[in-house]
Amino acid sequence: MSTAGFNSQNGTGTGQAYANGPSQNPVGLQQLPGVSYGMTHQPTYNPMQAKAPAPPGPGLYPTAAYQSGPPVSSYQSGPAHTSYPPPPGQPLLTRPAMGTPPSHTPPQSASPNHGPRMPLPRATPPPPAVSSSSYYSNPQQQPIAPSWQYNTAPAPMGPPPSLSAPPCGPLANHTNPSSSSTVPPPPTLTAYSSPQPAYGSHSATQPPGPRMPSTSHLGYTQPGAAPPPLNPMLSHTYQPSRPAYGPPPTGPPPLGPPPAGPSPAMTSTPPSTAPPLANVTPPPPKADGTLAGNGPQSPNNFNSIDNKMAGLPQPGLPGRHLGHYPSLPPGYQNAAAPHKPTSPMHPTMQAATQPYSQTTQPYQQPHGGPGPAQLSPSLAALSLQSSSPEALRVVNLLQERNLLPPGPIPAPTPCLPQDLQKINCNPEVFRCTLTSIPQTQSLLNKAKMPLGLLLHPFKDLSLPVVTSSTIVRCRSCRTYINPFVSFLDQRRWKCNLCYRVNDVPEEFMYNPVSRSYGEPHKRPEVQNATIEFIAPSEYMLRPPQPAVYLFLLDVSHNAVETGYLTVFCQSLLDNINALPGDSRTKVGFITFDSTIHFYNLQEGLSQPQMLIVSDIEDIFLPTPDSLLVNLNECKELVQDLLRSLPSLFEKTMETQSALGSALQAAFKLLSPTGGRMSVFQTQLPNLGVGALQSREDPNQRASAKDIQHLSPATDFYKKLALDCSGQQVAVDLFLLSSQYCDLASLGCISRYSAGSVYYYPSYHHQHNPAQVERFQKELKRYLTRKIGFEAVMRIRCTKGLSIHTFHGNFFVRSTDLLSLPNVNPDAGFAVQMSIEENLDDMQVVSFQAALLYTSSKGERRIRVHTLCLPVVNSLSDVFAGADVQAMAGLLACMAVDRSVTASLSDARDALTNAAIDSLSSYRQSVLTIQQPGLLAPACLRFFPLYVLALLKQKAYRTGTSTRLDERVFAMCQLKYQPLAYAMLMIHPALYRVDDLTDEGALNINERTIPQPRVLQLSVEKLSREGAFLMDTGMVLYLWIGRNCHPNFLTQVLGVPSYATVPENLYLLPELDTAESQRIRAFIGWLRDQRPFFPTLHVIRDESQLKASFMQNMIEDRTESALSYYEFLLHLQQQISK
Amino acid sequence: MIALTMIARVVDGLPLAASIEEDEQSGRDLQQYQSQAKQLCRKLNTQSPDRCTLEAGDMDFHYLIAQGICYLCLCEASFPKKIAFAYLEDLHNEFYDQYGKKVNTAMRPYSFIEFDTYIQKTKKTYVDSRARRNLGSINTELHDVQRIMVANIEEVLQRGEALSVLDTKASNLSTLSKKYRSDAKYLNTRSAYAKVAAVAVFFITLIIYLRFWWL
Repeated sequence: MSTAGFNSQNGTGTGQAYANGPSQNPVGLQQLPGVSYGMTHQPTYNPMQAKAPAPPGPGLYPTAAYQSGPPVSSYQSGPAHTSYPPPPGQPLLTRPAMGTPPSHTPPQSASPNHGPRMPLPRATPPPPAVSSSSYYSNPQQQPIAPSWQYNTAPAPMGPPPSLSAPPCGPLANHTNPSSSSTVPPPPTLTAYSSPQPAYGSHSATQPPGPRMPSTSHLGYTQPGAAPPPLNPMLSHTYQPSRPAYGPPPTGPPPLGPPPAGPSPAMTSTPPSTAPPLANVTPPPPKADGTLAGNGPQSPNNFNSIDNKMAGLPQPGLPGRHLGHYPSLPPGYQNAAAPHKPTSPMHPTMQAATQPYSQTTQPYQQPHGGPGPAQLSPSLAALSLQSSSPEALRVVNLLQERNLLPPGPIPAPTPCLPQDLQKINCNPEVFRCTLTSIPQTQSLLNKAKMPLGLLLHPFKDLSLPVVTSSTIVRCRSCRTYINPFVSFLDQRRWKCNLCYRVNDVPEEFMYNPVSRSYGEPHKRPEVQNATIEFIAPSEYMLRPPQPAVYLFLLDVSHNAVETGYLTVFCQSLLDNINALPGDSRTKVGFITFDSTIHFYNLQEGLSQPQMLIVSDIEDIFLPTPDSLLVNLNECKELVQDLLRSLPSLFEKTMETQSALGSALQAAFKLLSPTGGRMSVFQTQLPNLGVGALQSREDPNQRASAKDIQHLSPATDFYKKLALDCSGQQVAVDLFLLSSQYCDLASLGCISRYSAGSVYYYPSYHHQHNPAQVERFQKELKRYLTRKIGFEAVMRIRCTKGLSIHTFHGNFFVRSTDLLSLPNVNPDAGFAVQMSIEENLDDMQVVSFQAALLYTSSKGERRIRVHTLCLPVVNSLSDVFAGADVQAMAGLLACMAVDRSVTASLSDARDALTNAAIDSLSSYRQSVLTIQQPGLLAPACLRFFPLYVLALLKQKAYRTGTSTRLDERVFAMCQLKYQPLAYAMLMIHPALYRVDDLTDEGALNINERTIPQPRVLQLSVEKLSREGAFLMDTGMVLYLWIGRNCHPNFLTQVLGVPSYATVPENLYLLPELDTAESQRIRAFIGWLRDQRPFFPTLHVIRDESQLKASFMQNMIEDRTESALSYYEFLLHLQQQISK
Repeated sequence: MIALTMIARVVDGLPLAASIEEDEQSGRDLQQYQSQAKQLCRKLNTQSPDRCTLEAGDMDFHYLIAQGICYLCLCEASFPKKIAFAYLEDLHNEFYDQYGKKVNTAMRPYSFIEFDTYIQKTKKTYVDSRARRNLGSINTELHDVQRIMVANIEEVLQRGEALSVLDTKASNLSTLSKKYRSDAKYLNTRSAYAKVAAVAVFFITLIIYLRFWWL
C-alpha cells in the first residue's frame, strides 16, 4: 500500500492512523484526533477578523510597502482633506513619510494645483474614494508586513522601474499586434512621457513633469467638473437629457425641453486646453481595419444620440472640446462587443442545461492525463502566443462607450494546452483572479493585481462518484490524485503539488470503468478535475451523524406582529417530507421571548408538551431527551406543533428577547450530535447574555464620514459560534426586522459556525408582500437544499504558492483547514495567495480543494476539485490572464475585512487604488507606446467599472442613506455569495423588456426564453417609451416608462394605462399573451439561475423604490459619487502622475 | 450504561452501523474507546471466540459474533454482563432480519447506519432499570453467561503486535541464517583454495627440487 498507516487495511495498530472526521489530513496529525472535536481556541482565526483597532497589518489590503510605493498616493491634496485630515504634523507629506519617497509628485508643488482641478461639482462633497492620502492614517506604523502580496522590499520596487523608465523597456515580448500597428504617438505624448518614470527613488525634483500632464488634464476634467445640468438625484427622473458623461450635456430632444443648466456651464471650459488632448487624439490603436470596418453598419443607441446632439443648436458650446467623445470614429463604438467568443447562449445557461460538462462525457479522453512533464514542449510553444491579441488589445476606456457585451461575460480560459484545459475544473466552481500565475512574487507585485482563488465547492452538481477502499493520495502532502499528476511509468506517479514520486497501489491499476487492468491513467480520478469519493472509515472519527435540525423561533410581541411564524410553520409543514435526511433525521423546536420554551415531542404523547425555562441566566435543558425527536416517528406531533404554534403566541405582550440564552440552550441540545440550528430573530436581543444595544444613529446613515459600528459589539456570539463549530453545529440566522438588529454582532454566530445569514428588512406579512414572498421561497430552498454535515475543507496549492487569507463563513482550525460544521450548496469562499518561492522551472501550477463531509444520508464523502493554471514570466502575459470578475469578487471580500479592521474609507481607498495600481502598472510596464487616454488591456476593461460599482455598492457607499444592517448584510453577502451571484450584486444587469423578441432566444424545456441585450447602467439608456428590467441579484426591478407603449401595459401588466399601474405590484399577472409569456419566461429564467429568490418590484416614476432603482445606475453621477466617466478621468489623472 | 454500540463485518472489520453516544459526561474518553472498538473489529476474525468480554480500564467491551457479523458494545464494568449480551442478541436478531442478506455486498462504511434508530431504542429498554425487571426471561436464556471468556483489551489489541514482532524476529533470524550460510560457504571455498594452493606450491617446489638439485 502506498500510504502506510493511513490506508493500510488492517491497521498497523496506531490509533492515530485514523484521519478522523474533521481532520481529513493525517499529515496534520500533530493535531491529534481528539483535538479536532475538542475545539482549540488557538489564535488561528483570520487575522482580518480580529477586532477593530488592529493595525492594518497583514490583513486586508495593501500593507506598508504597497502603499508607500505606488504613485496613487499623490492625490492627497485638495478637497480630500475635508474628509480625511492627514495625520497631524504631516499635513501634506503623508506619502513621502512612508518610506520610498514617491518622487514623482512632490506634493508641495502638486497640491496647489489640484484643489481647483478636482473633477468635482461644486455642491458635492468630496468623494472619499479619491483620496488615497489617508490610506495609512498612521504613517509611523509602517509595518512591512511580509504576507502582503504586493509587498516587496522597497528596493526591488524602486530602482528597476526607474531604470526602465522608457515605457517600452522590459517588454520585449509584447506581442500585441494591434498596438504594434499603432498610429504614431500624437504630439501630446511628450507631455505624458515625462512623468512616466513614476516609481522610484530617483530624486524628487520633477515638478515640471507632473504639472504638464495635469494641465492637459484640465481639459478632461473640466467637463466633468462643469456643473451638471441637473443633479441627477434631485431631478429624480431618468431624463435622457441628462448628460451621460458630463461633457455632452445636450439633451436629446425627444422629451421635454433640454435642461437649462449645461450650456452656460460648458462655456466656461477653457477650450484652449482641450484641443491637444481631446480632439487631436487619434483613434486609439485598436481602431484597426476590422473594427473600423464594421463600425458603421452597427447603428446603435449612441449613434443616434450623437446625431441628435449634433443637430441641436448649441451656440455657445466649445464644440471641439465636447466633441471629442462623441465625434470619435465609429469604429470604437462597438469595439467591445463581438470579440470574445461568446456563444449566443449564456454560459450560465449552458451550464444549467448540461450541468457539468465533464460528467456528460467523462471518460472520452483519448489519452488520459498527460502530465505536465510531457507537456512542456507544447506549453512552451503556447506561451509565445499566450498574450492573446484579444486579451491584451489596448482599450482606451475614455473612448469606449459601449463597454458591456450583449450577454454575460464569460470567465477567461487559462492558456493551457487543449487536452489539459478540457479536463480543467469548471470556472463556476474554482476560479483564480489571474489565470496565468506570475513566476515570482516580484512579478506579481509589479502587476499589482490581487492573487486569489474563488470557490464554490459544494455547488449542486452531478459528479462521478468513486467508491474504493484506498483513496490514492500523495504520501507527503496528502494531495488527492488528480488529472494533472504525471505518471512516470505504470507503477509510479509524481505529485503535481509537491513533486514527490509515489507508488501506484495495486488496486488503482484496475479501472472499474473500462474493466481493464494496467491503465492507471484512465481511472476516473485521473480523468475528472472534480470528483467525489466515498470515504473509507479512516476518514471518520465517529459514525456519521444523522441530519439534525433545530429551529429557534422568536415569539416576542414584535415577532408575532411581523407574522412570520405563520409563513414559517406553513413552509415547514409543506416541506417536511423534503428535508434532506434518512430515517434517522431529527428535529426540535425552541421558542423564546424573555423565557425559553422547549417542546417535548416524545412518541406516545397525545400533543406536544411545552416546557418553559425562565431561568435564563443559567440555562439548562428541562428534560434529557425527547426535545430532539426522530422526524419519522414523531411526524404527527411535529405537524401538530407547527399547526398550533402561530396561534399559541398570538396574544403575547412580551417584548423582550433573550436570544443569547436561547442559543446556549440550543447549543446544549445539539452538541452531542451536531447539526443545524436555524435562528429566526426579529429584534435586538435585549435580555440576558448577549444582550445588545442599538448602536445606529439614523442621522448618520447618509454621512460621508466614516461609518461606525461595523464590527461586533460583543464577542459573545463569536465565542458561542466557536463552541458550536467544535461540536459540529452550524447556526443559520434569519433576521426579519424593521428596526436595527445589530447584524454586525449577531452575524458572528453564523460567520464562525459556517452558517448563512438571511435578512428581510421591514418584513411584515401585510405591508410588505414582496418580502413575504421572498421569505417563503428562500425558506423553501433553505429547507430542501442539499446539506453536508461535519465538514472540513482544505485547499492545497503547488509548492511555492501559499494561501494566507480566507474569506467566507467558517472557522480556520489549523493553518489551512477550514472547519465547516455545515456546508450548503449556496456558499462561496475566497482565499488570497502569495508566491513564496519562485516558480522558475514550472510550466503549470495546481490548486486542489478537498471537501470532506457527511451527506444527509449518512455517507462520508470527499469532493475534490483541482484547478491547473499556467505559469508565465512576462508581465504582459500576467495581464493577459487577468480575470476581472474574479478580481472584483476578491477585492470586495478584501474590502469587507478592511472596513471592519480599519475603516470604510480605508476600504474605499483601497478599492480605488487597486484600479489605479493595476492600470498604471500596465501603462508603465506593458504598453510599448504611450498614448493619451486611460489605457487598459481588453481583459481589464471592466475593472474600473467594477471598482466604481463596488464603491457605489450598498456595502461601501457613502453619502447615500444606508441602514447599518443593510450595509453589514451587503458585506456578508459579498463574502459569502459565490462569484456568479456576487457579480450581480456588484454590477446589476439592465435589460430592455418592452420589445422582447424571440430572436436569439434560448429554448429550455419547451419554453422560449428571450435574451435581451445587457445595457449600460446609465439613465441615458432608459427611455420613457420603454420598460426596463434591472437584475440586482436579490431584487428585480421592472421600471415602466411614463410613455410606455400601451400595448405593453395591457398585454403584460394587464392595465389600460400608465396611470393605472398599481403602486405596489410584485407579481406579473399571468396573461395569455405572447408578450406576457416572454417576459415571465425571462424573469423565471433569471430566478431559476440562482438559489435565492429575487423579488420583483414593478416601479413607476412616482414609486418610492425609484430611488433604489436609480442608485444602481452606477455609471451616472450621484450627489456623493462620481460618474463613470469622471471616475475614469480621476484614474487617468492618478495614473499619469 | 451502554456507552457505545457498533456492528461490523468480521471478515474485513468494515463498520456497518453504530450508535452515537449522547451522554455528555463520558464524551471525553469516548474518542479513545471509539478507536479501540474499530481496531478490535479489525483484529477479530472467524477464529475468534464468538462471545467475549474485554476489560478496558473501568469499562468493558462485550462482543458477540454471529453469522459473520460482530456486535460490540461498551459498558461500564458494573453493568451486568448478561444484560449486555441479551442486548447484543436482541440487536443481532433485528439486524440480521433487516440487513442480513446485504451485509456481504456492503462497500462503504456504515452502510446500515439507519439501524441506529433501532439501537437507540433498544438501548433505552435495556438501560432502564425498571424495564429491566421485565426482562426476567433472560436469566434462563443466558445461564451459560458465566462461561464467557474474559480477556483484557490491551492483550487482544497487542496480540497482533506481538505476533508481528515475532514475525519480524523470525524473518530476521532467517536472513541472518542465510547470511551465515553464505558466509560459511565462502569461508569453506576459501579454505579449500588455500589447501589446494599449499599442495600445489609443495608439489612445484618438489618438482623443481627434483629437477635441479636431485639430478
